[in-house]
Amino acid sequence: MRNGLRALAAAAALMLAAPAAAQETPDSSSPSATVDEVIAKVLEAARFLHDKGQAGFSDFNNSARWVWKDSYVFVFSCLDDRMIAHPLRPDLVGRPILQMVDEQGNMLFEDLCAAGEAPDGGWVEYWWPRPGEARASRKISYTKSTPVSFQRDVRVAAGIYDDSMTVEELNERAERAVTPQKDAP
Amino acid sequence: MAQEKLGNPAVVGLGGFGLTTLVLQFHNVGWMPSVGPVVWLGLIFGGLAQMIAGLQEMKTGNNFGYCAFTGYGAFWIALALLFLGNHFEIFQASTTDIGWFLVAWTFFTAILWVGSLRIHGAMAFTFTTLLIGFILLDLAHFGFPELTVVAGYELMICAASAWYMMARIILNEIYGRELLPAGRPWIK
Repeated sequence: MRNGLRALAAAAALMLAAPAAAQETPDSSSPSATVDEVIAKVLEAARFLHDKGQAGFSDFNNSARWVWKDSYVFVFSCLDDRMIAHPLRPDLVGRPILQMVDEQGNMLFEDLCAAGEAPDGGWVEYWWPRPGEARASRKISYTKSTPVSFQRDVRVAAGIYDDSMTVEELNERAERAVTPQKDAP
Repeated sequence: MAQEKLGNPAVVGLGGFGLTTLVLQFHNVGWMPSVGPVVWLGLIFGGLAQMIAGLQEMKTGNNFGYCAFTGYGAFWIALALLFLGNHFEIFQASTTDIGWFLVAWTFFTAILWVGSLRIHGAMAFTFTTLLIGFILLDLAHFGFPELTVVAGYELMICAASAWYMMARIILNEIYGRELLPAGRPWIK
């Protein structure tokens, strides 16, 4: 109920703000998710799970809040070797992840797990199909760990499909996005 | 007239405390994915049953057991309600909020721990592991989430030693001899 009202209020606010936003950030109208959107969504998901605890996991399987354009937030645990939630691949939920290999031979979840160890999280490059496509594309995902009561090692991640950006420049942008929050009073 | 023989409420209290603690650790170390069994056991065996056992301790004149069993019975009920509250979006508690909840229970445990040192070795050992477990869980909620697993294994030892005391009371009575010793108090 409360969520419904919140969604309604958000939708109303979006409708009012949409014309202005479209002028300011041409990105918001593009069909592909942007770097800033991915960072913002991952941080929002980390905060959401911190606040809501384990009861929040199922939200990532069901809610449209975590899917936008061609991107989405997924939740996993490296210590448990398990996909906790995935909005587009229910077949992966509850399954082991660390042994997964993409078509270029990358152990993608081993890389995601290593990158997420950094306090500000990190970016990882691998090959994964866009939503609705069968063929894999180059994907770069931002991943971060988040503390959840009575649940060890929870990681959240989301990515963009892009052929040009490097992990190094993306790490710098993520660091810039996270740092001001830390210095806030 | 001979005095009517009464049961010892501690056997139920220790049983509920140990079992619910153990099942929560199955979750904390990652063997049991859901927290569901903890919620229901926390309400009934760790909660209701242990709390009734605690209230019955009053009549035995044992203030330590009265406070400990009633207190930890209430702890389990409160923790189960916390999980349910988060699920149904009533008074949602964040990781930090639960951290402070655990810090308060750490202080409560510290007081009882001082008392446990003078009771007997098994009690002192149980409360020492319980206090360490609470401290590890506090740290896990304030910046060291990887300690949840350490706390998990540590508190399994605590649960087992609570069950040792339960087994002592039951088995020593049935076998009519000191089958399982309590051990000397750590402080005389």
